[in-house]
Amino acid sequence: MVVTRRAFLRYCNLAAGAIGLDVLHLSKLQTALGRPGAPSVIWLHGSSCTGCSVSFLNRISDKPGEPADVAEVLANHINLIYHATIMTSAGDTAAAALKRAQESGNFILVLEGAVPLAFGGRCCISYSYAGREVTHAQAVQELAAKAIATVCVGACASFGGIPASGSNPTQAVSVSKLIGRPTLNISGCPANPDWVVWAVVQLLLAQNPVLDADGRPVALYTTGHDGSAEEPIIHDKCPRNPGNTGTLVATQFGQNGRCLEHLGCRGPHTKARCNASWNGIGGHVYPQAHPGHWCIGVNAPCHGCVEKTFPGPQSFYEPYEP
Amino acid sequence: MPVITAAIDPVTRIEGHLKIDVQVDTVNGVQQVVDAHAVGTLFRGFEKILENRDPRDASIITSRICGVCPTSHSVAAVLALDAACGVGGDTPERTNSRLLRNLVHGACFLESHLLHFYLLSLPDYITGLPMAPWLPGWRMDKRLDKAVVERFRGNYLKAVEQRRNAHEMGAIFGGKLPHTPGYLAGGFTAVPSANDQALFIGYLNGLIGFIRDVYLPDMDLLGSLYADYFQIGKGYGRLLSFGVFEQDNGASPALLLQSGRLATEAGGVQAVNPALITEQVTYSWYEDSQNNLHPSVEDTRPISPKGKAYSWLKAPRYDGLAYECGPLARMVVSGQYPYSVSVMDRHRARAREALLLANAMLGWANDLLVGNSAYTPCDLPVAVTTAAGLTEAPRGALGHWVKIRDQKIAQYQVITPTCWTISPRDTAGNRGPLEQALIGTPVANVDQPIEVLRVVHSVDPCLDCATHVMRAGAGAKIHALGALPGRK
Repeated sequence: MVVTRRAFLRYCNLAAGAIGLDVLHLSKLQTALGRPGAPSVIWLHGSSCTGCSVSFLNRISDKPGEPADVAEVLANHINLIYHATIMTSAGDTAAAALKRAQESGNFILVLEGAVPLAFGGRCCISYSYAGREVTHAQAVQELAAKAIATVCVGACASFGGIPASGSNPTQAVSVSKLIGRPTLNISGCPANPDWVVWAVVQLLLAQNPVLDADGRPVALYTTGHDGSAEEPIIHDKCPRNPGNTGTLVATQFGQNGRCLEHLGCRGPHTKARCNASWNGIGGHVYPQAHPGHWCIGVNAPCHGCVEKTFPGPQSFYEPYEP
Repeated sequence: MPVITAAIDPVTRIEGHLKIDVQVDTVNGVQQVVDAHAVGTLFRGFEKILENRDPRDASIITSRICGVCPTSHSVAAVLALDAACGVGGDTPERTNSRLLRNLVHGACFLESHLLHFYLLSLPDYITGLPMAPWLPGWRMDKRLDKAVVERFRGNYLKAVEQRRNAHEMGAIFGGKLPHTPGYLAGGFTAVPSANDQALFIGYLNGLIGFIRDVYLPDMDLLGSLYADYFQIGKGYGRLLSFGVFEQDNGASPALLLQSGRLATEAGGVQAVNPALITEQVTYSWYEDSQNNLHPSVEDTRPISPKGKAYSWLKAPRYDGLAYECGPLARMVVSGQYPYSVSVMDRHRARAREALLLANAMLGWANDLLVGNSAYTPCDLPVAVTTAAGLTEAPRGALGHWVKIRDQKIAQYQVITPTCWTISPRDTAGNRGPLEQALIGTPVANVDQPIEVLRVVHSVDPCLDCATHVMRAGAGAKIHALGALPGRK
């Protein structure tokens, strides 16, 4: 099941077209992954729920040349030297690996979770090194200054998310607010694993994705699963959109297939390629193997979790006005 | 040789941020843990974030307390909301609501148990694949021959696939996992189709096969090779369960895994009276005026620094005593596992619970009313109302307490399983359950105390869930491992 790095590169040669890599990309990817000094990846948790990491573990793909699951991603695609949820080492051994990479500067930084500033940042300690506790805010400042690139996964790192909502008791901020410059944001609550893998591979290829005003790669909501152009707004591709399909507007939950705009759906204000994108192979529909899912598909409202307005102070169950 | 104070920070392969400080000394010729402090390092303050929101938002917001037990928080929230809104009755909608809530919650239990055994715990016993993030690891007593290591590595990779399948199964009705929008006050959003049902059962049969034919035998093999861990990590031996997985639509439904507590073997299983739960903050960074209150009136007022406080985890106590919770507690109080508390008993009870639950889920999936709504219309109460939702997360007892005023959340309190198990000392100075379980743990190599990690992982800590958690200011006497004076 787990292929070697070399075998993966052979797949890429066979299937370059299918994964949208041209010859130039391919040679770069081979160079990126093949050389001993290839960049490693550091994944650091701040004020988070670990949900983006769990989502990352849900990676699945059947596209030739793409890593089929997270084990392949880790074995063949990225050298993930620090990820607190899955790494074997602990304590000083783990912290030392982090410091070594930090000093080398040859790493891509993936950040999950917001950055709390209350109590001098001490409401989120990242690790201890040489007897000193390092707050998440310190760790992000130090690592982001050295990283080849910084990727925010999830609503919290990208925009502050739930920790920064309401009265924001820990004075949580987004990563870009902390470091004072824009970041590449793979938003969502959680971040979709395919989007995360896509972003990291782009960076390993030294590609700079086109970003929107919120730092999100435009390709991730303007491109469909088959590579064709796609409506960016959830409401515009919703099978329950009354304008497109003549369905009725629901007056309460449990009315199968009706539009939920009056019950809090944020689909008209949300840009994402969510359709058939979650917990399955992107684009697959039943009875294909591992069909993808989305909130819309289970008669649930879209909560707009990819937007920087998430969660906002408004009820999830009243008509939404941004 | 003097007592050695050492810290593991971060403790990895858990959810969230945890630091363990241990003191190690030689007693009766055995180098062992003589004292321990369990210290979380994250505080997010969800209770404060929830104030003034629409109460119905609680299932969506509290899901984000934890990416590994999101549905457990949603279940606790909707149980409290159903009670507050007066949702009841024995109707087809209530039946589908119960079944769908159970099935998506159950999918997350199976996901969590597989994740815990293979991805989080096994690396304490085997060396992983020869690359990051499985290397480097700590030196350990290798008792597994090459064939066994290969078997576990292969099954680790299969478990990666099976735990993912468990989430795919839950997403059939939940839409996306973690963080489904499906759980509602009054029911569940999905209306199950025959295709949904068939797909769910297909996944579930695969998981049942894996749990029965791979997970349980792997657990038994590990237990036989590390039989001494049936004597390590015993702790207080007090077990608490709120119970979970409703079996009927009654006001006090029968549960698949029972509510109950056990303080001593002679005392047997006793009923849980939630009125006897208090939260103590003497060693926690909260105002002392909040000490020893019931969660329904408890407030969350952080203050740091504060005297001898060392954690932002409050210390929940039942009738003044510390209890551990989790699969072992549930299985023992349900009469499904003998009363025996240790590292390996926790792992074995978890594996057996996975099979018991998966088989029950097959019945629930077959009982689904295809094409029927799972929603009972309900309105928020106009009067001031308090309600509780008690359930279980994969790692133990979970309670939400809500006070609704003017149809907004006036107050919200959450006590998570990790608050129970990883709690700091209480007002009387008694250690939390994990702190106590660490006492006496033999440690071969103080620089790399793998034995400590084995005890910690056995209780499946989820520090993301423990919303009141933070590390106090480090004392000068505490050193990170490898950085002790004169040691390297």
